[in-house]
Amino acid sequence: MWLLHLAWRNIWRNKWRTWITVSALSFAVLLSVLAESLKEGIFDNLIKNVVGFHTGMIQVHQMGYQEAQQLDNSFRVNDTLQAKLLSHPNVSACSFRLESFMLACAGDKSKGCMLSGIVPNEEDKVTRLSEKLIAGHFLQSGDNGIVVGQGLANKLKLRIKDTLVLIGQGYHGAMAAGQYPVRGILRFGLAEMNDHFAYLNLPVAQEFLDANDRATAGILLLKKDDDFILTRKQLAAQLGNSYEVMTWEELLPEMSQHIKTDSGDMRIVQWILYFLIGFGILSTLIMMMLERKYETGMLLALGMPRYKLILVLVSESLLTVITGCVIGILLSIPVIARLHLQPLRVSGDFAKAYERFGFEPVFPASDHLHIFYTQGLFVLVLGILLSLYPVVSIMRTQALAALKK
Amino acid sequence: MKFLIFFFASLTLCSNGQTATEILEKSEQKMRGNTLQAEMILQIVRPGWMREMSIKTWMKGRDLAVILVTSPAREKGITFLKRQKEVWNWIPALEKTIKLPPSMMSQSWMGTDFTNDDLVKESSIVRDYTHRIIGDTLIDGRSCHLLELLPLPETAVVWGKIITAIDKKDYMEMMARFYDEEGTLMNSMYGYDVKMMDGRWIPTRYEMHPADKIGQKTVLRYESILFDRPLEDRFFSIDQIQKIAY
Repeated sequence: MWLLHLAWRNIWRNKWRTWITVSALSFAVLLSVLAESLKEGIFDNLIKNVVGFHTGMIQVHQMGYQEAQQLDNSFRVNDTLQAKLLSHPNVSACSFRLESFMLACAGDKSKGCMLSGIVPNEEDKVTRLSEKLIAGHFLQSGDNGIVVGQGLANKLKLRIKDTLVLIGQGYHGAMAAGQYPVRGILRFGLAEMNDHFAYLNLPVAQEFLDANDRATAGILLLKKDDDFILTRKQLAAQLGNSYEVMTWEELLPEMSQHIKTDSGDMRIVQWILYFLIGFGILSTLIMMMLERKYETGMLLALGMPRYKLILVLVSESLLTVITGCVIGILLSIPVIARLHLQPLRVSGDFAKAYERFGFEPVFPASDHLHIFYTQGLFVLVLGILLSLYPVVSIMRTQALAALKK
Repeated sequence: MKFLIFFFASLTLCSNGQTATEILEKSEQKMRGNTLQAEMILQIVRPGWMREMSIKTWMKGRDLAVILVTSPAREKGITFLKRQKEVWNWIPALEKTIKLPPSMMSQSWMGTDFTNDDLVKESSIVRDYTHRIIGDTLIDGRSCHLLELLPLPETAVVWGKIITAIDKKDYMEMMARFYDEEGTLMNSMYGYDVKMMDGRWIPTRYEMHPADKIGQKTVLRYESILFDRPLEDRFFSIDQIQKIAY
């Protein structure tokens, strides 16, 4: 106990040195928490954006639909299915879609398009589709009009109130042909969607495709996005073998790959950061041992056992490192809170590029609790490892040599 | 439409000392006549479901044909017109006639095992292939010539080889197998239910089986058929197909 007491007094013997070490450590914690939190925040935001365009966090299909995306692999929407999905504690809304590739024609022009039959209210909850509207008005329920992407409208020279002709194959090979007045035009960030998507009311699409009561996908809106893997597992077990439940990672494998690669890059940057932090701490330790060379030599010469001296020095390091980490975490809380509530906003051309893709031009910080303690713990471990230096240094100290000035 | 065309492409037969080409020409003459009007039922069979369509068809020679869908209700009135190598499609729901673009030619015709392309190209079976008798066979107790058809060089045809069996007495096409360039079997077609219709013996049911899709076939059944009734060329026009259903 007196050792700990001694260590505590030692720490405050040279306040400046201690404060420098503590601030190096707390700054290290602050930096790594910030880096990790921005990384997670940006990727979460990216996922939210991309997934929110169209895919949703989780989709339910007829078993086999993902392999062969055709109407014949659609399922019947019934109350039991809907009730089952909505009764899951993490599901807040479910939007059913009936999708198929069609030929869209207007005048003498024609173009391939992705026809999507939707329930406007439900779809709006999941993808906020109506916010993409740039002309006309959005589908009302019961409306038999069509809403098209801007790119598609331009290519077919369509304006509001024009008629769009759709031709293709319906359910079980039925012929599908129909004409629909254009009610509204949507602008999507992704050219892929902008140039190809057209939306009908679900019942209208079902009739057009001869697929009464059927849908190709149910898109789920989750209360807590982070729990999507668990939710998927539970739903899959509940729905049984005739349905497949897929997460956005399975639905958009390229996107999930991209995020993994990018976060790998970030990981390297983070390691460089840790490296710098480590050397910063090490240099204060080396300095300290140099300054106290005479002192340690004296103590050894007076007959203090080496292990006791080591214990004192390790206790000193532990106290400093823990103080540093705690202060670092405390400091990072207001910083992260502020960046989480008021995210960094990018501006200029960069912001325009972001907006064109339909992303919000912000870099939000994630407020996940685990970031604080994992990063704090990491720096703590780093500090403890580095405090092995004084130990090694004392093991090597020869009392006589140290006492020579 | 392979059926139809096959059917029209082959139906005469007098056996004994004829060349393969003669056999095929006779068969075609018998199955198609100069003109032909028929009502038939198309059955699309898939694993797990089945669909039926009734169609009426008019044909004249190799180059002119009209196909009218008469049921189910939602497809009633859809009409196809074939003139030489082009196909037009009248869709009553749109009140429009569409010329099928090249990109749609390889797509399924009305959800059957035939492609739009089959509607147009199969007529050249006599003209675009070399023909050779490779033996005899017995199908449903009928003695048949077995013919091998290989495409002539530089003709744009779909198949690498066709093996067909033609009845020796009545020149009916009883069987055909379609191979791709690698010699892999792609489709098999069989004729059943030989009956006398409008004075000719013909198989009244054909089945088309895609080789790589188990449990999948298209069945074509003749309800009635009339050979060699006069049909004017102007019947096969775009104007006409818009009125034909009514």
